[in-house]
Amino acid sequence: MTTTDDRTAAEAPGPDAPGPATAARGFPDPYTIPTPPGAEGWREMYPYYNLFLDSRREKDSRRTWFRDSMHFPEPMPPFDIVTSDSAFMSTGVMNTRVFALPPALGLDVRVLNGYLYMSAIGVEDPDEVARRAQEFAVRVGHYYQNWPTLYQAWERKVRDQIAGLAAIAFPELGELEPVERVLAGRGVTSANDLLVAYQDVLASLDAAWNLHSELLNMGYAAYLNFLMLCRHHFPEITDQAVAKMVSGVEVLLFRPDDELKQLARLALDVGDAVTEPILAGGSPQRLRADLATTAAGREWLSAFDAASEPWFHFSHGNGFYHHHRSWSDDPTFALGMIAEYIGRLRAGEDLSRPLEAVAAERDTVVERYRSLLTTDEDRNAFDEALGLSRVVFPYVENHNFFIEHWYMTVFWNKMRELGELFVRFGFFEKADDLFFLRRAEVFDAVVDLQMAWCSGGEPLGPDHWPPVVARRREIHAALASSAPPPALGPAPDRIVEPMTIMLWGVTEAQVATWLAAQEAGEGGDGGPRVLTGFAGSPGVAEGPARVVLRPGELDSLRDGEILVASITSPSWTPVFARIAGAVSDIGGIMCHAAIVSREYGLPAVVGTGTATATIRTGDIVRVDGDTGTVTIVARADDPAAVS
Amino acid sequence: MGASPGRFVRWFDELRAADRPLVGGKCASLGELTAAGLAVPPGFAVTVEAFAAVGAAVGLTGPALPDHPPEVAAALLTAAELPAGLADEVVAAYAELCRLTGRAALDLPVAVRSSAVAEDGAAASFAGQQETWLWTVGPDEVLARLRDCWASLFTPQAVAYRARLPRERVADATRIAVGVQAMVTAEVAGVAFTVSPRTGDRSVVVVNASWGLGQAVVAGEVTPDEFWLSKADLAVTARRIATKARQCRPAPDGRGVVMVDVPAGRQDAPSLDDAQLRAVAELAMAAERHYGGAPQDVEWALGRGPDGASRLYLLQSRPETTWRERLAQVRQSRPANPAASYLALVHAAGARRPASPSADG
Repeated sequence: MTTTDDRTAAEAPGPDAPGPATAARGFPDPYTIPTPPGAEGWREMYPYYNLFLDSRREKDSRRTWFRDSMHFPEPMPPFDIVTSDSAFMSTGVMNTRVFALPPALGLDVRVLNGYLYMSAIGVEDPDEVARRAQEFAVRVGHYYQNWPTLYQAWERKVRDQIAGLAAIAFPELGELEPVERVLAGRGVTSANDLLVAYQDVLASLDAAWNLHSELLNMGYAAYLNFLMLCRHHFPEITDQAVAKMVSGVEVLLFRPDDELKQLARLALDVGDAVTEPILAGGSPQRLRADLATTAAGREWLSAFDAASEPWFHFSHGNGFYHHHRSWSDDPTFALGMIAEYIGRLRAGEDLSRPLEAVAAERDTVVERYRSLLTTDEDRNAFDEALGLSRVVFPYVENHNFFIEHWYMTVFWNKMRELGELFVRFGFFEKADDLFFLRRAEVFDAVVDLQMAWCSGGEPLGPDHWPPVVARRREIHAALASSAPPPALGPAPDRIVEPMTIMLWGVTEAQVATWLAAQEAGEGGDGGPRVLTGFAGSPGVAEGPARVVLRPGELDSLRDGEILVASITSPSWTPVFARIAGAVSDIGGIMCHAAIVSREYGLPAVVGTGTATATIRTGDIVRVDGDTGTVTIVARADDPAAVS
Repeated sequence: MGASPGRFVRWFDELRAADRPLVGGKCASLGELTAAGLAVPPGFAVTVEAFAAVGAAVGLTGPALPDHPPEVAAALLTAAELPAGLADEVVAAYAELCRLTGRAALDLPVAVRSSAVAEDGAAASFAGQQETWLWTVGPDEVLARLRDCWASLFTPQAVAYRARLPRERVADATRIAVGVQAMVTAEVAGVAFTVSPRTGDRSVVVVNASWGLGQAVVAGEVTPDEFWLSKADLAVTARRIATKARQCRPAPDGRGVVMVDVPAGRQDAPSLDDAQLRAVAELAMAAERHYGGAPQDVEWALGRGPDGASRLYLLQSRPETTWRERLAQVRQSRPANPAASYLALVHAAGARRPASPSADG
């Protein structure tokens, strides 16, 4: 027998068994999903407020839950739930309480088998919608009218938040309290500092995510307004065409990559003393030591360090997980790309992005659509909607660097400092073990450490946590190899929440596709050979697939392959110069894979739902970015694929 | 091209839209498009005067034309002695066309088509004024097909149709001109619409294409490849490659056309590559521009022209007039956007924004 918390495959009703919500066409009932083998006990890793509680079965089974694999493609390590808490709280509070979005509030969040699911909360009462509409007009109107000023202030607030976080110090906890503190009559001790520092780090995270969402939903709303206006006049307009009209030319997400190219150029200017060690490869530490021996090398190193702050605080993943390290944490990837750029510059390639051509094309596209409008009224409305979108859109494109990359890099490293302190006191083997405790459990460990340090006795943590952490690592690995359904519960009739559509790419059509894929999968023919998603970037490409589930697997990617990922991250931008096309499980027209693919002129299909589960590395796939389809032309184990 | 305007013949390059009453809509349009510098295969129109003269000679006169049973009228026209000068003028024009296209003998393959005067395309179709004879070779054949075009005005359905027309529209339905145009040996051909036939969206171009002569596509005898492009950036937004089992080709003896199998290896291959596709879209858009932005339905062919060079030709362009209704229907049939009122608020809030130079950023 297993615990009531865990439903093993043997005990759980199969997909055919009628659950409470399977009468209509729909997704699996969350209460019928079995626990993957080896993951028994997973529910202990997450707070109660994230679980499908048995006591709420009646309520939670009745709702539709979409998996947020866009932000949370991997199962959550216990501590990393803090990012989902912060992100969903922030988007929720902005919609619900700050700007009073009339038709929708925030999202409820649940974790099932380690994966995150969300469910939108709508506003049904027309009187309430009307009341909210009045408030919304005042609040959002103020932001739109003062956007440039507010955006500037926003950037300042975020920089302050990052500086504040970096300045938080965990106490030394030495044998004695430092004598100067005693002589200064401080009274309050390092034990209290420990508690305050942990609280401050969490409070800072919470604040940073409030800032993340402060402008974001309004940015998307303005974009959605323009999109809908375009669709009214041009029913067949593609999302790409709309995006092309709105997109900024100078997007911050390209800045880190541009810095790499600039460093490659500088290396060539400075000469062999720099280029040769870089091209030789080797560890970053070794390279740094080599370069430090020459004046030219030192000059280049100081340029590298200047670029690193802040541009290489750029996560290999999306920043939502502690193990998504940044270029600044491990410069191997950045140095490898610089070496590649040096080679391409030497071969005579011009690495600069054709900004003027991009800008000119954008203007042409706008003018062509505008010229098809027939009345002054239509043209005015078009100009207004486009103007607003362009004012707010730089924020949508750029916020990601500030929060997900820069802030979160500093955040995870700050938590590692606390992890190191626990390692010193024998709680953990390594600092990252900390991330296998829930935030409340870290609080307990902090208090345990406070008490032991205060009393001079032994903390209990070293006798409690190591086996717990070891078991949780096993569970996490078991969860990672399971395939979570894209959605749970009954299929929705309508999808109204603009964020769900814009950001997650969850539309009524997408839901239908998932249902179809689910039914095809149940047919047992080894899965579909054609996947459908959003046409993220036009063009057609065929090549061997490379399925990348974790940022660390990027190293195995070879030139000309089709990148298949749950979601791509901005820091993957440089690899787009090497791939032939991109496919993602989830994402709308504004997801990073789509933006970057358009920039690089690569075909991309995003939001396929199941690409990483269906396609295997080595399969020959055709990506049709015009129609949003991905075809498995030949399986890797099929001899035909070899020819 | 042709030297002096004769009584019965007008060259395409001397025709404009205003000549419609004399040469019919099809020829007037080919004149306009030729003048606009688009690649239209050369040719000439046999005017409505020619039909009037023949009609007078065989006793088929007056606006109503109903006095003879259809089969009698058709037989009269087919056998009619052509008035002096008419046959000479047509044969001379054909000879000139052969000379212009570098033919040593009088053997240029041409298309002979009726060109209706009536504004209403549906009316023209019902009235039997949409006849086309492809790959017509030699002066005698041209004259014979000319008579066939005239006779088509007396098919039973044409007569029945005219009988139902209001009186003021009968006159136009009883006039007919004929176009004679050099053939293109099309490798690929088809049609293009500068407006969505599905939704009336004017920002798209839809291209249908199949192997061989365009006749097969126009007549609906094959399922063509279908491509959708955005006018704004010529991005291909959708493509559906059909299995194109049959194609229309010039007959082996050089006269007329035949339907033959497409070689197996080509049946499922796209009939246009992206560069060719964009060229077709641009050609259709150029025709639309020429008509002041009015959406067009064009026929095009990619292949060897009368001068032997392979290029993209515009064979015909017609206005598409129903897009407004279709757009209105689509807007009406869409479910109300649940977020519409909210987006109206967003728009209102944004519209009050002070003008800012960063709007271009």
